[in-house]
Amino acid sequence: MNEIIKVALAGNPNVGKTTLLNHAAKTNLKVGNWAGVTVEKREGFLNYKGYDIHFIDLPGIYTLEPISEDEYIAYNFIADEKPDVIVNVIETTNAERDLLLTTELLELKRPMVIALNMSDEAHKLGIEVDSRHTSELLDIPVVKTNGRNGDGVSELLDAIVESAENRRVPKTVRYSEHVEDALGALERRQHGAEIDKRTLLRMLTEGDGQNEEKANLEKFFRKDINSIIKDERYAFAHGFYNEAFRKRKVTARDITDRIDKVILHPILGFFIFLLVMFLLFKISFDFSTPFMNWTQGLIDNFFSPLVLSFLSGVGGGKWLPDFFSQAIVGGVGFVITFVPLIAMIYFLIALLEMSGYMPRIAFIMDRFMHRLGLHGKGMIPLLLGFGCNVPAVMATRTLENKRDKLLVMAMIPFMSCPARLVVFSFFAVLFFVHPAVVIFSLYFLGIAIGLLTAFFLRKTAYRGKLSHFVMELPPYRVPRLRTVLLIVWVQVKSFLYKAGTVIFAASVAIWVLLNTPPNLKSQSDSAAAYVGKAITPILKPIGINDWRISTSLIPAFLAREIVLSSMGTIYSADVHKKNPEFHFLPALVEQAKALGSATKESFMSLLTPGIQTLQTDEGNRNLASAIRSSFTPASALSFMIFLLLYTSCLATVAVMAREGGKTFAFLFLAYSFVIAWGVAFVVYQVGSLI
Amino acid sequence: MTFFGDRSVKAEAARAAKKVALKPTDQRKTIKDLKVGDTAQIVDFIIENEPVRKIQAMGLRRGKKVTIMQKLGRGIVVKTSNSRIVITVDVARNVEVK
Repeated sequence: MNEIIKVALAGNPNVGKTTLLNHAAKTNLKVGNWAGVTVEKREGFLNYKGYDIHFIDLPGIYTLEPISEDEYIAYNFIADEKPDVIVNVIETTNAERDLLLTTELLELKRPMVIALNMSDEAHKLGIEVDSRHTSELLDIPVVKTNGRNGDGVSELLDAIVESAENRRVPKTVRYSEHVEDALGALERRQHGAEIDKRTLLRMLTEGDGQNEEKANLEKFFRKDINSIIKDERYAFAHGFYNEAFRKRKVTARDITDRIDKVILHPILGFFIFLLVMFLLFKISFDFSTPFMNWTQGLIDNFFSPLVLSFLSGVGGGKWLPDFFSQAIVGGVGFVITFVPLIAMIYFLIALLEMSGYMPRIAFIMDRFMHRLGLHGKGMIPLLLGFGCNVPAVMATRTLENKRDKLLVMAMIPFMSCPARLVVFSFFAVLFFVHPAVVIFSLYFLGIAIGLLTAFFLRKTAYRGKLSHFVMELPPYRVPRLRTVLLIVWVQVKSFLYKAGTVIFAASVAIWVLLNTPPNLKSQSDSAAAYVGKAITPILKPIGINDWRISTSLIPAFLAREIVLSSMGTIYSADVHKKNPEFHFLPALVEQAKALGSATKESFMSLLTPGIQTLQTDEGNRNLASAIRSSFTPASALSFMIFLLLYTSCLATVAVMAREGGKTFAFLFLAYSFVIAWGVAFVVYQVGSLI
Repeated sequence: MTFFGDRSVKAEAARAAKKVALKPTDQRKTIKDLKVGDTAQIVDFIIENEPVRKIQAMGLRRGKKVTIMQKLGRGIVVKTSNSRIVITVDVARNVEVK
């Protein structure tokens, strides 16, 4: 059994703590170039030189004086859990700012290692630091690191082990004479008990009226005690910075400042934001469509016949091929064809997050947001909501005010995520001439309902003044392709995992219910039909008058994609495919050729200005036309609206319950159902008249 | 337990009142009064409330030079050393500059 070293990564926001951990422990934790990517404790494990190093990555904090929830998480861990070694990650370019936290951590007198991260960026800006000299000044290891390429990470690990083995604590921080005298007097009164400086300082500031030292200091400095201590810490940090860091003059103008002249421009900035959003949609639609068609072809023309020809060889009755083509190909396979679309959206969102543009959107949009009584910083969780509502709800932790937090949380589920897009892209193409326009309108409808919800809540439950807004803008950085692809892979993997577990289970359950009781003449007598028919009266006014759809909506509460896999399972039972001759090699060659032309088509589509969109030219026509028979354009639209607005996602409801309380989550779920039903009802009734 | 978070409101009010007596708030130049492109030095903080303590921790401290990079609505982008911080007008008017 190896000895365990518990290591806490502490530092200001966006200094690269998670990136360093990803290098050190080979983890794939989510990173981004903005303050507040990490909002919970995350872990990484590494076996190194006979030790089990247990890393705990903490949300970024500027000071051990927490305000927002994510800051409390970091603070509580450092204060209560007593890690064996604290790794203080410093962004070398902003070292003077970062040294306040360092000073506070030094006061704890615990084994500590300093990682001077982004030293390459600092060098370009003319900031030099002598790590050996710094190490001597503090008597703890100081290591230069580079999160981009992982330089210095092995030295950091050595330093952690050394620090833990020797319990190497830093030199005591010394403040000005008067403060030190007061602390000395306090310490003497403790009769030799060992007390760290931070505790002593707290005794000084929190002492009651009897505290003579406090009164004397306040009289001498003519400031209150908290200001005195704070200024002492700033003075120490400033003095230390001047001692350890050197700045030479550089003539080159900062590239970030130049880009910001355009990006943050009052008028241009807004149009650039619109353009970026347009491109986000265009590229994710157009680029992924040929690949989606290809994936569908691969499943329908290669895997499915391959397995079926194998199954027919095995024998064993009709149920096995039926199960395979209905539950597996019809259900799970149907959802998997949308992987390229999902991957593309995550790729583009990761680019936004890694470049440093994300918080700038918050700044540009605050102009409009604050008129609606919303916090500009709330834009970040809302934008993340277009990727997935779950991390978006978590991201509200960075908001300092409970009211702002709940307001934003009540808007997030209306931001359409890729799971909804998957459903829209199928139905919009099937029923409308301009699917892109329909999908855009749905996205805007979601945003509008979100804004209305916030407006309504602000007039009722969450009155009160809009709080201030303080946020850091990171420097622009060119995203590393490797990091971006890794983020995409993590998301695709979790989608495939969902397809293999929840979606698979739902498809099997639906298939079993469809075939219960056994040997039915018609599916409409099955248990699945019975369940669906029971809830059809609720859905009839919004145009859904078919048990096959209402049955599909029930398991879709687990995740919206399931509505498609369930429909796929049910409807593919109606589709009688002929089994053409299947020859392995020619089929494989054909698939490879198809991939080539899909790739070509994808890149070509980027050259056209408009959105081509999602025209599935071939593929599962039978399934599509079977589903088409159950809808009219009006009911298809109302169905999409219902699925857009109703929080049909167990993971989102669960995370809302955790972050905002069970009552909040439950009320919101009910509200979203009512709103979804109401809007769908109006749209269907009006649509049916036209 | 926060370290600086629990200072008494009374003490804050008393200090604020003293400062107002020294020099009326409206005559003190603050970040709010600066224009895009201006550079100035932070000399004092008019009211040290929670957001002010936060921006101090983020690097806007006494003696630091700040440059106004952009203003938009209630937001102001301030650059100090190598960090850029968005603050709103209600925070900016508590930061006195010269």
